[in-house]
Amino acid sequence: MRRDRPWFARPAQFARSGTLALCLAASGFVPRAGFAQSPEGSGCPPNLEVLVEAPFAASRGIEPGHELRVRANPDGETCLARVAGLFTPPADPSKLVIERPRVLFHLPQLATLTGRADEVDHFTVRLTPGLDFRAIAEQLEPLLPGTQVLTTAEVANQSSTTFLVVSRFHRAIGIITLIAGGVFLACIMILKVQERRAPIAAARLVGIPRSMLMGWTIAEAAMVSTIGGILGLGLGIAASRIINVYYQRVYETTLVFSHVTVDMILQAVALAIVLGMAAGVYAAQRLVSADALQEVGR
Amino acid sequence: MLARYSVRELVHRPLRTILALLGVAVATAMLVDMLMLAGGIQRSFAELLSARGYELRISPKGTLPFDTEATIPNFASLMDTLAATNGVAGVGPVLASAVILAHGDGAAPSDLSVRAIALGIDPTEQGLFRLIDGEDPVENEVLLDQPTAEAFGVALGDMVEMRVAGGLDVAGRSAQMRVSGIGEFLYAARGDVPIAVPLEELQLLTGKLDRVSFAMIRVAEDAEAEAVRTELAGAARVEVVTLAGIVAQANERLSYFRQLALILGSVSLIVTSLLVGTIMAVSVSERLGTIAALRAIGISRRSIVGSLTAESLILCALAGAAGLGLGVIVAEYLETILSDFPGLPLAVEFFVLRPESLATAYVLLLAVGSVAGLVPAWRATQLEVATLLHAEEP
Repeated sequence: MRRDRPWFARPAQFARSGTLALCLAASGFVPRAGFAQSPEGSGCPPNLEVLVEAPFAASRGIEPGHELRVRANPDGETCLARVAGLFTPPADPSKLVIERPRVLFHLPQLATLTGRADEVDHFTVRLTPGLDFRAIAEQLEPLLPGTQVLTTAEVANQSSTTFLVVSRFHRAIGIITLIAGGVFLACIMILKVQERRAPIAAARLVGIPRSMLMGWTIAEAAMVSTIGGILGLGLGIAASRIINVYYQRVYETTLVFSHVTVDMILQAVALAIVLGMAAGVYAAQRLVSADALQEVGR
Repeated sequence: MLARYSVRELVHRPLRTILALLGVAVATAMLVDMLMLAGGIQRSFAELLSARGYELRISPKGTLPFDTEATIPNFASLMDTLAATNGVAGVGPVLASAVILAHGDGAAPSDLSVRAIALGIDPTEQGLFRLIDGEDPVENEVLLDQPTAEAFGVALGDMVEMRVAGGLDVAGRSAQMRVSGIGEFLYAARGDVPIAVPLEELQLLTGKLDRVSFAMIRVAEDAEAEAVRTELAGAARVEVVTLAGIVAQANERLSYFRQLALILGSVSLIVTSLLVGTIMAVSVSERLGTIAALRAIGISRRSIVGSLTAESLILCALAGAAGLGLGVIVAEYLETILSDFPGLPLAVEFFVLRPESLATAYVLLLAVGSVAGLVPAWRATQLEVATLLHAEEP
């Protein structure tokens, strides 16, 4: 269940957990909060403890037992919070562009700090397996004014829109690249075969049958395209590894950005061989059909 | 004569030439698209932000406009600070809130209610929409966009209901609003239903009295935006950003596309150089005898290299022209994919067609093509004439 967000928030969506997470600007040990706040009823909760996101803590030298000063807003009361521990957030692509670190509070303590008693942004409900979740959501929503009740699948769907768009974009780029690569491969194979004009013509004059010459030419085309395909595959796998290492370092995440599967490998090699051989077959056919004397005399 | 001979060679090998042209054209199209993508969204976004002339934005500390649901409290006193700041010519406050927009009581099939984004504004100072028809909204009035008005089947003067969408403490609050005008909302994303209402009414309805989500600031003509930003940032506990700062932050969030453009653009140039270089190498190799004979009769190396390089240039020039057109068509297709990017204003484009992008792609292609053709041509002219003539003897 959640409230709508205007346009600029969506590229940097915050997925809040069952506890109300206070998002901090990364600025030393005096985090600033950009958060809706009601001045009435706010104050420093006793024994305030927090969990700090591990990558941020490591970059700032924050350790369990340290004290942080927190405020619900720039003009609010400063409260001291003890770092109870560090947590490693799960690798989530929707969190990649978030610049502010996350800090977890006990919900009642955060409610006291921000003056938002008895209030949450969203909460999750665990249902008995096997039920019709959508139907239950529809029953619940009228009972909870001011909320939107969504199933987990619907939330995942909405959160994934960015990545679906990027996937479609990648697919389109991939198709264009494939076309360019295919044309390039066909051109090279035809050039390769055409370079053998004179030797093939001489072989025909000597009496070697066309079928044998075709076979040799096609075998050569298959060999060249297979070796080239395998080399290209190695290049692609290496590039995929470099992409993962680079972006994992940039975004401090364990997310996998580029994934090479067995299917992709087989498709790539098959395409290289098929395209290369098709070009080779076409060029070889033209060569063995040409006038041998004329080819030798060139 | 050699140039004519080179052109004849291209025509004499139609399959090879067509495939080479096609390969270079596709690579050129990719290069053009990547050049358009590299600076497209940044330029498009900057144009959108500066369309209405508000050079600064203020938002809750640590956030950007619409980044979170945070609001700036005590806005009335902040307005005093803003008014006292040198260089501030106007302030346009904005409060954003989710609402339910309804027409009819739900009894008839044509009755409709949708989740909308209400923007509470000061009609005299706003930069969020362009008025198309009617008037700016005043008390108890609302401005809709064209698609919403059509979907609801309402016209100017009709009544719609606005209900608060969130918060148990304000649940049930609603207001009957008269449609005062139709506008084009500049920052609306696909699927958004934006409406504009007077700021005070939205504050009352949502219980966010004296609060705004952000404010747009118009800088005086004789003032510098950065100087005003610095003065404001020191005077008020809010985040103050210039348009350049917002664009820079948005650019960083979408830096992936810039990096992709750089990588794919480079790959396109590499593919072009390999293709042209290979074709020229084979072509030159087939004409070694001719080259040797020409050198034997006194034609200079420079002339021969120039003529052979011209062949690769002609190939790249023809293919490049086709590639530019193909690139524009492909860019339109890719734009339709990326326009589904959630949360992005419809007015923002990823692929911005500029003459500089086309010219840069074409020049790069010609440069790479001529270098790729130059190498085999130069190598051929370095070979011993006598050895070549002897090898080419029938």
